[in-house]
Amino acid sequence: MMEPVRLKVELPQIPNIELVAIEGLERLAQHLGIADEKIGEARILVTEAIINALEHAGTQNPEVHVEFTMTAAEITILVKDFGKGFDPGSVPDPSIAQKLGSEHKRGWGLRLMKSMSDDFRIESGTDGTKITIKKFLS
Amino acid sequence: MEQPFELTSELRGNCLVLTTVGYINNVGGEAIAKECSKHFSDGISRVVINVERSKVVNSIGMSFLIEIIEQLEEIQGKLIFTNLDPAVEKMLSIMGLFQYAGKEATVDAAVRSLK
Repeated sequence: MMEPVRLKVELPQIPNIELVAIEGLERLAQHLGIADEKIGEARILVTEAIINALEHAGTQNPEVHVEFTMTAAEITILVKDFGKGFDPGSVPDPSIAQKLGSEHKRGWGLRLMKSMSDDFRIESGTDGTKITIKKFLS
Repeated sequence: MEQPFELTSELRGNCLVLTTVGYINNVGGEAIAKECSKHFSDGISRVVINVERSKVVNSIGMSFLIEIIEQLEEIQGKLIFTNLDPAVEKMLSIMGLFQYAGKEATVDAAVRSLK
């Protein structure tokens, strides 16, 4: 069995920088012989985790650390920011009915990550927020 | 690397067909919403969005589509997505967009269903 492959990257606050991580994800998949259609949901998970982190990173230490550990069967995605943290329990679960007619149409990231992943963990404190996602690829 | 966002727009009868290429982020989502609004003021109320060449999207970009649905609800219009990547389809489904919008395999099928 092929050894897991790892990728670590530190992302600065630059528009669309999440695409660099997506490129890395695609390269790892290609290396492991994983078909492109099997990483579609992982692409969305990576994108959502990173844009969430970039939003909460703040200005003092604004970079976001991303780490992938990937085998042919699964990927673990770790995304960490160094912002002030937040209480994930206080984030309301969004619904389309509630968003229609509301000024605030965003706020879907956590819901998507929970729904699309096979395991989702979030740890948040005053030194930042760490999201760990597992996604099966088969 | 995913291509930069591009949007093309054409009218097929009274139906607006939008085709996206590349990453649909906040900029892409806003561009789609603006293009729709422009045509809504001209009396168009049927929209097809072909996302075949947008494999990377984010929820902020997709949130702008809720604005489009809101405007279409006011004018009794309809929105159909086509050529959806399965992962993007799942994302839109989780967001509940298919409670208010349709999906078809191709643009031709969508335009036919809107006639």
